[in-house]
Amino acid sequence: MLILLSPSAKISAGAVVCVESEIKGDVTIGARTVVHPKARIIAESGPIVIGEGNLIEEQALIINSYPENIMPDAGLEPKTMIIGTNNVFEVGCVSRSLNIGDNNVIESKAEIGRNVILTSGCIIGACCQINTCEVVPENTVVYGSKCIRRVQSERPQPQTLQLDFLMKILPNYHHLKKTVKGTGAPMRS
Amino acid sequence: MASLLQPDTVVYLVRGEKRIRAPLSLLYFCRYCSELRSLECVSHEVDSHYCPSCLENMPSAEAKLKKNRCANCFDCPCCMHTLSTRATNIPAPLPDDPTKTTMKKAYYLACGFCRWTSRDVGMADKSVASGGWQEPENPHTQRINKLIEYYQPLAHREKQERDRKKMARRRQGMPLAFSEKYGLGTRLQRQRPGGPLSSLAGLSIKEGEDQKEITIEPAQALDEVEPLPEDCYTRPVNLPEVTTLRQRLLQPDFQPANASQLHPRHKHLLMKRSLRCRKCEHNLSKPEFNPTSIKFKIQLVAVSYIPEVRIMSIPNLRYMKESQVLLTLTNPVENITHVTLASCEDDDPDDINSTAKVMVPSKELVLAGKDAAAEYDELAEPQDFQDDPDIVAFRKSNKIGFFIKVIPQKEEDGDVTVSFKIRHDFRNLAAPIRPSDEGGDAQAEAIWLTHHVELRLGPLAP
Repeated sequence: MLILLSPSAKISAGAVVCVESEIKGDVTIGARTVVHPKARIIAESGPIVIGEGNLIEEQALIINSYPENIMPDAGLEPKTMIIGTNNVFEVGCVSRSLNIGDNNVIESKAEIGRNVILTSGCIIGACCQINTCEVVPENTVVYGSKCIRRVQSERPQPQTLQLDFLMKILPNYHHLKKTVKGTGAPMRS
Repeated sequence: MASLLQPDTVVYLVRGEKRIRAPLSLLYFCRYCSELRSLECVSHEVDSHYCPSCLENMPSAEAKLKKNRCANCFDCPCCMHTLSTRATNIPAPLPDDPTKTTMKKAYYLACGFCRWTSRDVGMADKSVASGGWQEPENPHTQRINKLIEYYQPLAHREKQERDRKKMARRRQGMPLAFSEKYGLGTRLQRQRPGGPLSSLAGLSIKEGEDQKEITIEPAQALDEVEPLPEDCYTRPVNLPEVTTLRQRLLQPDFQPANASQLHPRHKHLLMKRSLRCRKCEHNLSKPEFNPTSIKFKIQLVAVSYIPEVRIMSIPNLRYMKESQVLLTLTNPVENITHVTLASCEDDDPDDINSTAKVMVPSKELVLAGKDAAAEYDELAEPQDFQDDPDIVAFRKSNKIGFFIKVIPQKEEDGDVTVSFKIRHDFRNLAAPIRPSDEGGDAQAEAIWLTHHVELRLGPLAP
């Protein structure tokens, strides 16, 4: 029995999602997540599940798209993109990765390919592109024009102050998308 | 089209000690010798030292004491960016009452680029925002200081003997420390080929002081060396822990092989320099003393005296076919300039790079002066120059566009290069004007300058 998933976004109570953001497809957004205007979350070839406490800034693009050389109607099973808690997607970044852990920071204009799996505490520096097929170990920092890496000793702090501030200020200037009551935090598979 | 405005497409030839071809934006013009000068035919002198991040000025003596490093700012040992101080609140017990804890501020250094923090190397957080951070001591400092103390009087004695022999014609006004401090930079030093010890000699000793004999123990050679660890060849390398060569060599005292021993160092100071023409000893460029100011007290750059040639458009160039290239000439001075172009003779020694024949307009081109207020002055009549439309494409305030004909001579893969001579009149407003007897027009005399210009027009069209 196929249950047709309603193509609307499921926004948990407590999340702040601005109306000007573009959310397409089956997207679930956890509590305390802030989605800025002009952010784009597009679930083309499968659902996207976003955890709690994430910060998705302007012009960020989180997209679950078809892999490059495969036609859309080849009957591929849709893969769910899972994003954990306390991640920061800075302005203009592009994330196609299917699995992102907790406390990661993807800086401005960084690009992550589909086959990269970010664990926790990783920082992808500004304008760095990672298109490899790998699991990035914990607490890795990728920086510089040549995308060199190093391991830092502590994970980046969750942006609680910033999130609280935005959750207070954004509703003053933007209309918000309606939340769905009582879905709670989505389960991470 | 921005590629045509790249600085190295049009180069001017500088006839100095070496023949240098450089774009006009990198050249200076000595208006006393009336010649172009490049960075290699001027002498560079240090004006002042300053820190690039806190912009603090430092006199040269203090800079030398601190080994040319800033006292307040640090460099990240990992990516060489400037470190910033961050504060956290940590609970700490009150000194009066150990049971209660209060929030105290703790400071640590962090890099915004690579996310390195001072906690990575084990440096404890400090309770003061600045001044609490120390660089690690070099274990060999004592020995090095002793050696320097021993060699300084020797060097000084050697230098004095050499001076006495040569009967130095030293200028009386210059203090002793000045000429030694800058080594081979000043004119005096260059004439005397000094040995390596002469740079040490000027450091501190006063003349005539009674030197005591300092003895040092000679270095002892060891027979046994510490053996390598047993698993040196079998242990897998932990890549994030190994330092790169650049990180290692930035700390020549320690050269740590492990990233956990990379301590931050104080930031290097930068310096402001002034340039001086070697022939006439006039200053060509003298910046302001204040590090926050980018202006110059004296700025004799070539762009403000010599008309500049720029390439505006290039058609498809074909082998042995004549094409027209559109160039622009800009007049930087405020009076009318007359420019004549001439193609190079066949046996011109300067003409080594050109791969095409060029036909330049033979008539004299007149350039209007640069008038800063022209765009606001609506009543001004446009000046009427009789322009030949075959030669002059357009004219706009102090700029003129003209055509040259190019015939590429070589069919190879490289760029088509042409060269020609440009001759213009230059009014030297710096020279003192001789008062004429009739009390007439005190116009400066115009002299004619000739420059050799080379243009790189790009590859032949396929």
